[in-house]
Amino acid sequence: MILHNFELSAECYAVRLLAAMLDITLELRRIDVFPGREHEEPVFLALNPLGTVPVLETDGASLYEWQAMLALLAARSAHQDLWWPTDEPRLIEWLGFAHRLAASIGPARAHDGMGMEADIDSCRRDAHRLLRVLERHLWFAECDGNHWLLAGAHPTAADIAVFVHVILSEEGGIERMDYPAIRRWTDRVREIDGFIPMSGVFSPLKAVEM
Amino acid sequence: MTIDPKRWYPVAASDDLPQDHVYQTRLDGRPVAIWRAASGDVNVWDDRCPHRGVRFSVGYVIGDELRCQYHAWRFASGSGSCTHIPAQPDAKPAAAIRAQTWPVRERGGLVWTGITPEGEPAVPIDGAVLRAIPVNRAIEDVEPALKAIPDAAFILQPVDTERCVIRGLAAPERTYAIDAMLERLRLTLETV
Amino acid sequence: MTETPTNSLLWNDWHVIAEEAAPRPLRPLRTKLLDVPLTVRCDDGVINALRDDGIPMRREVRYGFVWACLGVPTRDIIHIPEAQDDWRCIVTGGAFGVHASSPRVVENFLDLGHLPYVHQGYLGAEEYGKVAPYQVRDLPEGGIIATGCKVYQPSASPAAKEGYVVDYIYKTERPLIVSLYKANPVRPGAFDAIYLFAQPVSEERTIAYTLNMFGAEGVTAKDLRCFQQLIFLQDKPILENQFPKRLPIGPRMEMPIAADKSSVAYRRWLSRIGLQYGTIGAEPLTA
Repeated sequence: MILHNFELSAECYAVRLLAAMLDITLELRRIDVFPGREHEEPVFLALNPLGTVPVLETDGASLYEWQAMLALLAARSAHQDLWWPTDEPRLIEWLGFAHRLAASIGPARAHDGMGMEADIDSCRRDAHRLLRVLERHLWFAECDGNHWLLAGAHPTAADIAVFVHVILSEEGGIERMDYPAIRRWTDRVREIDGFIPMSGVFSPLKAVEM
Repeated sequence: MTIDPKRWYPVAASDDLPQDHVYQTRLDGRPVAIWRAASGDVNVWDDRCPHRGVRFSVGYVIGDELRCQYHAWRFASGSGSCTHIPAQPDAKPAAAIRAQTWPVRERGGLVWTGITPEGEPAVPIDGAVLRAIPVNRAIEDVEPALKAIPDAAFILQPVDTERCVIRGLAAPERTYAIDAMLERLRLTLETV
Repeated sequence: MTETPTNSLLWNDWHVIAEEAAPRPLRPLRTKLLDVPLTVRCDDGVINALRDDGIPMRREVRYGFVWACLGVPTRDIIHIPEAQDDWRCIVTGGAFGVHASSPRVVENFLDLGHLPYVHQGYLGAEEYGKVAPYQVRDLPEGGIIATGCKVYQPSASPAAKEGYVVDYIYKTERPLIVSLYKANPVRPGAFDAIYLFAQPVSEERTIAYTLNMFGAEGVTAKDLRCFQQLIFLQDKPILENQFPKRLPIGPRMEMPIAADKSSVAYRRWLSRIGLQYGTIGAEPLTA
């Protein structure tokens, strides 16, 4: 499987992260989105007319939607039932939530880190509204002995999809000081076997200790 | 409004401090990092390493020490003294190199601190600790509104002049309902 | 947006504001220098950089970058002799926005103690955390140079096939420009060179650029660019978690150790020249 990847993209990170946790190898092809704008070039548009990353090429077909890539990875793994429980509608709900986070935190990060135009106040306001919802959910989940977005002992693709945006929020000027349950949950995600960091995400201690 | 230096203020719940986690908040505009050592002791420190100002809250808890993310300097629970500087491993760190520590108490399921607090923290009632609700309003605007919520005792944490955190205690079976009331209250207070 | 006592030193100096290749026809680049909005465009292959408010400013294209001076330059753009060496692979490293002040970005580049932690596995290893003594002296035309630095590096560059102790030299001749020279793994006596240019967008925001000039054996331009970006992206979150954002250069404001000699010298130099923009504790220079 070939992943057309940009190092700073949260969506690309989600695919790389879940693949690492599932022990699935991806061949990475680097797309210089910024500052190179390679995703706007005809060569890339021929691969993905939407002009977005990530793109996942597999068995002669391409996927453009990052959450579809997460589904595919889960399906290819030995534990699809754990990472993608199909009998749980809330999985899809949280994936939708991740899209909303992407739509607020994403432009905020691009604005602060790459000088892109954005209605920055609006993005940050939306992000905080979403993070408050997430905080409440996780706090009460902890009370019930749950450590992940869905009830149950195992993280799912929903945790990965939401995590990648949350963990990079500060790059968009969205602090997480008000969200202690979210901060504890992000620590737990970093402890999952196979976790890999990206720029802006600190490794868990066990990856660093001798 | 600057805070009363003689008072204890709640800044975290005991449950906010699982092992190996560094919690962050602000009191009177000052960022603090709060963490529990392996010994069980809670530490409230200025959230910056004295070396080059990197936040302790992105560092690692290792047993009874906190390790800074930048140069891996280590600081001891309790005293805040720097115990190890990898760049000069054979030299004892100068006594002046230390985390800025705050007084700390753990009472009633909450963690309390203050500037030069007197006496002991006053825990208003026995009860379950409510979910903390940060509000983007000054403490003076929030306090009166809380009188409308029954069956709970509230204590406010002044984050800065324009923000505070509502902390409270209530009977365990009431926490969910009161949480919902606090969410509605916050919405009202912030939609001005 | 004018020259003020705070920004005066930088106002009359040259700063990188874009990579030469960045602005494309029909896609101008918007940026800011010392809080002044600028636009960099490329029309018919000609680069032009203008203040958005129309007030004229100086601009040049050199070393693969677009440079701007908002005032009257007190001296020329820095001279980079290595850029003429034909045995080097020369490539720019991309532009990175960092929510940190430019002096903090420069100081991080001069720092040796963080290499085994922030760049673990590449520029340092935890078992080799001890920083051996090195020398620092002032440069006659201004700035500082640190020599005799030695660091064990597991993966010093794309050309390095194994770990080795790398000889380093650091130099800064302009307040927001810093360079390092590291012993090339395959060419005895030769030094790979990296320049970092910090564009002061505002007092607390920077865009960082690098010019990488490594011996060409065993490296491709793409590898080099990727490597440098990877390294910088490891520094970025540290820089963004440093407070205060502006660099404290007043006496006794932060706690250095012997290994921080180069940073101490850099801060002292900034203090001597009276750099106020992006710093805390600078004494204004008396006339």
